[in-house]
Amino acid sequence: MTPTERIRNFCIIAHIDHGKSTLADQFLLRTGTISPREFREQVLDDMDIERERGITIQMHPVTIYYSCSRPGTSDAITYELNLIDTPGHADFNYEVSRSLAACEGAILLVDATQGVQAQTVHNAFLAMEAGLVIVPVVNKIDLPIARPEETVLEMEHSLAIDPKEVLFCSAKTGQGVDEVMRALLERIPPPTGTAEAPLRALVFNSHFDTYRGVVVYVRVKEGILRRGQRIRFMRTGREYEVQEVGQFRPAMKPCEALGPGQVGYLTAIIKNIQDVRIGDTVTDAHRPAPEPLPGYKEPKPMVYSGLYPVNNADFEALREALARLSLNDSSFTWQPETSEGLGFGFRCGFLGMLHREIIQERIERESGLELVHTAPNVTYEIVLRNGETIQVKTPQDVPDAGQIAEFREPIVRINFIIPAENIGAIMQLCVEKRGTFIRTEYLSPTRAMLVFEMPLAEVIYDLYDKLKSITRGYGTMDYEFIGYRPADLVKLDILVHGKRVDALSTIVHRSQAERRGRALVKKLRREIARHQFEIAIQAAIGSRVIARETIAPLRKNVTAKCYGGDITRKRKLWARQAEGKKRLKQVGQVEIPQEAFLAVLSEDEEN
Amino acid sequence: MLLFHKAWAVAGPLPLPLKSSRYQAEPRWFWPRSVYVHVPFCAHHCCYCDFAVVTGADRLADVYLDALEREMALWLAEPIDVETIYIGGGTPSWLSPARLRRLLTIIQQFCSYQRGNVEYTLEANPDDVTEEKLGLLVEFGVNRLSLGVQSFHPATLRFLERHHDPASIAKAIELALKHISNVSLDLIFAVPGQTLTDWHNDLARACQTGAQHLSTYNLTVEPKTALWARVRRGQVCPCDEETERSLYEYTITYLEDHGWEHYEISNFARPGYASRHNQVYWSGEAYLAFGLGAARYVGGTRSSNTRSLRSYLSQLRAGQLPIAESETLTPTERAAETAALQLRRRQGIHRDRFRQQTGFDLDTLLGSALRRHRNRGWLEDDGVTVRLSRQGIFYADLVCADCVASAQSSSR
Repeated sequence: MTPTERIRNFCIIAHIDHGKSTLADQFLLRTGTISPREFREQVLDDMDIERERGITIQMHPVTIYYSCSRPGTSDAITYELNLIDTPGHADFNYEVSRSLAACEGAILLVDATQGVQAQTVHNAFLAMEAGLVIVPVVNKIDLPIARPEETVLEMEHSLAIDPKEVLFCSAKTGQGVDEVMRALLERIPPPTGTAEAPLRALVFNSHFDTYRGVVVYVRVKEGILRRGQRIRFMRTGREYEVQEVGQFRPAMKPCEALGPGQVGYLTAIIKNIQDVRIGDTVTDAHRPAPEPLPGYKEPKPMVYSGLYPVNNADFEALREALARLSLNDSSFTWQPETSEGLGFGFRCGFLGMLHREIIQERIERESGLELVHTAPNVTYEIVLRNGETIQVKTPQDVPDAGQIAEFREPIVRINFIIPAENIGAIMQLCVEKRGTFIRTEYLSPTRAMLVFEMPLAEVIYDLYDKLKSITRGYGTMDYEFIGYRPADLVKLDILVHGKRVDALSTIVHRSQAERRGRALVKKLRREIARHQFEIAIQAAIGSRVIARETIAPLRKNVTAKCYGGDITRKRKLWARQAEGKKRLKQVGQVEIPQEAFLAVLSEDEEN
Repeated sequence: MLLFHKAWAVAGPLPLPLKSSRYQAEPRWFWPRSVYVHVPFCAHHCCYCDFAVVTGADRLADVYLDALEREMALWLAEPIDVETIYIGGGTPSWLSPARLRRLLTIIQQFCSYQRGNVEYTLEANPDDVTEEKLGLLVEFGVNRLSLGVQSFHPATLRFLERHHDPASIAKAIELALKHISNVSLDLIFAVPGQTLTDWHNDLARACQTGAQHLSTYNLTVEPKTALWARVRRGQVCPCDEETERSLYEYTITYLEDHGWEHYEISNFARPGYASRHNQVYWSGEAYLAFGLGAARYVGGTRSSNTRSLRSYLSQLRAGQLPIAESETLTPTERAAETAALQLRRRQGIHRDRFRQQTGFDLDTLLGSALRRHRNRGWLEDDGVTVRLSRQGIFYADLVCADCVASAQSSSR
């Protein structure tokens, strides 16, 4: 056990691609935690998808031993640094707050070529609110296009960072990394808490291991956690005997005990990940602490979408895949649902759009199932005439208009950080999207922060793409849920060949219904292949049809000739056609491709 | 479920040069009994053609024949017994009598065939048909002539950039039939400007000629052809789908009414004259092929030669095979492909023979696709064979693609 004065617990706050993982890898290399031979790029990102996308989703803590000389002497002191990696995307906010609760300090890492981004501001404020000491660092100073002075100015304006405290480094070349490490030791306070007090350890994450059961990630606040100890989870009341305690170095390495301030894991033959609540407090069953540590709020899914197997026979396999996935990701929810058009599937709840995409990709990759996913929607609140309030997670559940007293939608506060020249265009976009302007702030003469309140539904409906295209990629955004507000909403239905396709229904604002309806049927006309009969595509509110397009019948699809027995060419044609067939879902007589179900997600440029 | 056999265990192209004596007992999908030879030379590159064709390169003909001979020698360690030979192009008939003799001699050297049994075809341009060339063909046992007539209608011929006139076609056919009893005509429909009456006349004229075989092709605008460029520039308006379909429908009705057997999507024959060589392709059986851009299927591997004349010649000069693409099919791919190909035959897929040929049970392999298209009325199924219905013919590619997709997902 390391004495608390030699422990520093910290995390790194950074925007995607600002170099967080590279900096973490530098720490590991410099302290010999991993050898250059073991060094893979971005060691802490384990999952394939994380590596491919260069983003971190789940936290992987790591314990580093760092020796440095006492100022003015030659004796070396070894410090224990616990780095808790944090995700860098808005969807994973709650994971950020978990990491923060386990730390005393945070490196605020900003890319000198990109400047402060919306996500950075958001997470930095979270860290400040949590009382963490901030170590501001400007990264990528080795790049010729770096503009470190401006970046410091932006940090000052947006986050009130003292320019004198800012460090400069290049995580890639290693320049300035030693200074950053020294600053960690000097500026971040050691943890408090005594070994004599009754055990209190914060559960900040967990994962499922086939051999060991649930691996619980803990930060000991006070007392000592030992192997063989009888422990109790204070909120659930469950008791276990600790099988193993250890540290992440970065692989799991058992040790005898974890003392105050230390970060590590415990296993206790816990079979079900749902039995361990993130944010719970672990205490000694024989000498329990009087009060648990303050927890943090459970993440609530904000975006829902339906997941259906292309072959209905794969329903059970999909259920197993979802169950397997939720072992390691307790933040997404799923329950069976039935769609007239799509058959049996699941309604899944996600933290946000990226979360949704990642989950879907993982399911498909890990299970090999072919899936149709419906366009995502947010959770609505409806007050019925009888006074009852219901939560609506899918447009199918919207009751008849006559029963609705009030239709409410979720509202978020959204921050944009954009080039100043785009302020006008973004303002206009937000007004179109029913946004309410809150304020503007200039971070520097060329960059500004805009704050709006806006329906979440509008945010998931192509806002991000529009932001990126207006600002040519330079704008970023971040949002947080602030509450439900009443709005004039209607359910827009789509009929294909006279049949209502429930999975294509959406909830829209009445003022936009007609425009959306027209755009949608037009788009669907392009997505749905011609059949041997004519297909009408209609958009309707209740029984009133507001838009219609027609798909002409296919009369012929046969190639005449095959030159000199060149079958390969023919087979390629079939293979191409077969590929296109992969995600077709039969609805009535019509085959609807996956793309059509996502058509409701965005408008075409031409519209 | 799969049947295994020693020679089939090869997971890749067979070792070259091929010793035919070693494989002769192998099944027809594995060991070829058919040979295709490509002659790329043409007097003119027609606007719709995207095949491996060379114009204005007469001086290369001798070099080409040298290369062809070398290619055959690289493939074949000893002569191979064949049942069908097809010399296509290009325009093989464009070769001078001396070169034609040399070509036929080379083929004779590497292929052993019995005159009474072989189906030996040469593709010819009506303008090239002369007593001298016909005599030469007969001397070497060529017993089938495929004439690139395309149309009897002057405007259609002009559009297709075919330089023969209707009168010379009739003469050529007559002359050909004097020497070679089995004559096939190629006809093209859905040519811009062509009316149903024009097409009816073409079919009627073809029926009167005494030809035993007709290939009717819907004009396809292939990418990168001159025709394609004209369509893109808006100079030519291609035929619409509805017209194409009615012309095709008319073709089937008219020819069947006049005693022709519709044996494959685009091919019709007088009883007993269905092309055996063509049917090798559509049955998923093996065949060898030589020449520019030629595609073959041997020992479960499909491969094709480069389409660049220069690299074809230079690679062979260096003693290398000019293969551009090669692909060894997995058992499932082979079975799926066989099913899709056989569906193009009007006789369809015979379940027992399919199982024998591929080792797969047709219903297990294609189950859902068969059911779907049966319900749609595009497939007919009497329990023994499955074939496209009259309605299904018009959607053959969709059905075939669906079978391929179904086979892929059932093997997963």
